[in-house]
Amino acid sequence: MQHVKAGNLEEMSVLFERYHVLLYNFFLKLTRNKVISQDLTQNLFYRMIKYKNSYKEEYSVKSWMYKMARNLHIDHCKEEKKSDDLFSKTEMYTVEAIDDTEGFPEEDYERLEHSFAVLSLEQKEIIVLSRYQGLKYEEISAITNQSVPAIKVAMHRALKQLRGIYFKQI
Amino acid sequence: MKCEEAEEKMIDYLDKTLDEVKLKEIEKHLETCEKCIDEMRDIQQAMQVISKDEMELPDDTLKINFYHMLHNEIKKNERKKSPVIQDSGNAWYNLSRYRVAAAIALLICGTSLGIFIKSQLLNSYSANELKQLHSEVMDLKKSAMFTMLKEESSSDRIQAVNYVEGLDNPDENVIEVLVKTLNNDKNVNVRMAAAYALSKFADQRAVCDSLVKSLSVQSDPILQVTLINILVERKEKSALRPIQQIIGNKSTLKEVRAVAENSLRVLM
Repeated sequence: MQHVKAGNLEEMSVLFERYHVLLYNFFLKLTRNKVISQDLTQNLFYRMIKYKNSYKEEYSVKSWMYKMARNLHIDHCKEEKKSDDLFSKTEMYTVEAIDDTEGFPEEDYERLEHSFAVLSLEQKEIIVLSRYQGLKYEEISAITNQSVPAIKVAMHRALKQLRGIYFKQI
Repeated sequence: MKCEEAEEKMIDYLDKTLDEVKLKEIEKHLETCEKCIDEMRDIQQAMQVISKDEMELPDDTLKINFYHMLHNEIKKNERKKSPVIQDSGNAWYNLSRYRVAAAIALLICGTSLGIFIKSQLLNSYSANELKQLHSEVMDLKKSAMFTMLKEESSSDRIQAVNYVEGLDNPDENVIEVLVKTLNNDKNVNVRMAAAYALSKFADQRAVCDSLVKSLSVQSDPILQVTLINILVERKEKSALRPIQQIIGNKSTLKEVRAVAENSLRVLM
């Protein structure tokens, strides 16, 4: 990233190759929409180039990148909220999740998706960053500005809740 | 150890990141506390479900769009680094602004004059004269295009290329200029516009040949894909060789290669 900041934009392709699949999945877990996730990933890399001067050497590239990704997603939610009432959406998923009494293994993935949708945004973020993206608690702490113990507790609660919703469906 | 403390360390325990002292502590607690064992089983199940969930791969368009964007940004950056000599640059810029204005004004005058005459004097003018007027308007459009293609701004140049669509029968000059734009313009969007404009006249043998020839020159992935698609749609067999070259070229993006390989199947 230092190279990019110094004006060597070609180096950006190294970051892209290394992180674009991860970041795409980060957005995908949060938005559950492939097209939007692609757009957000594309926007993220554009922003990274545009705001390259906001990158400071003492941070890790990862936390800088995820911070931006998080903000992008929040912006996206705000826009969506204008046209779409997110609240009723969440409720709908809850009902669906409980009604769904069949539990075939091939439906595991869908079931997980439904359960996941019920969690709060903070909980989703923490689970995605830690369990899916494999970030360390220290790295997440730098992204969300929460202390490491606070993240651990939140993580514990989120997983417990996820498990509760997930197995309620069987 | 209390249940609260154990709760705090459960995830670390399951992730096996605890040091030996803490590991012993929590194991000791779990032996005696059923509630915590249950809770830990819950967490473990949730973690297992997640770990079975696999990552998805994004569409190829993401990669193509990224490299396209990066390419543009690099170019913008270079332009910033080497500013044109300010004084003469500015004067030239102003001058060329007037030239565009004049070209557009001419075009509008010509078109509206044509419409006016057509509607007012349709009866009194013979078909021959109308035809002549029509061709004059076409000439005006053509000269507007030639002027605007020399513009610095790429959106002006794209507009110029789009004027061609209004011409019914572009002559050799127009085609030649378009081909030159397709192969040499520094902006990929202008080159794309030129490719699309040319594809409308691909019934002419010369146009088709120049598209095939251009395919072996272009290195931008978007243009490669566009040209391949145009030529495949026309079932142009002579495109086989440049497409094979693209497949053989090591620096070809793998997305482009996939498109090229698909097209071979259609053409062969």
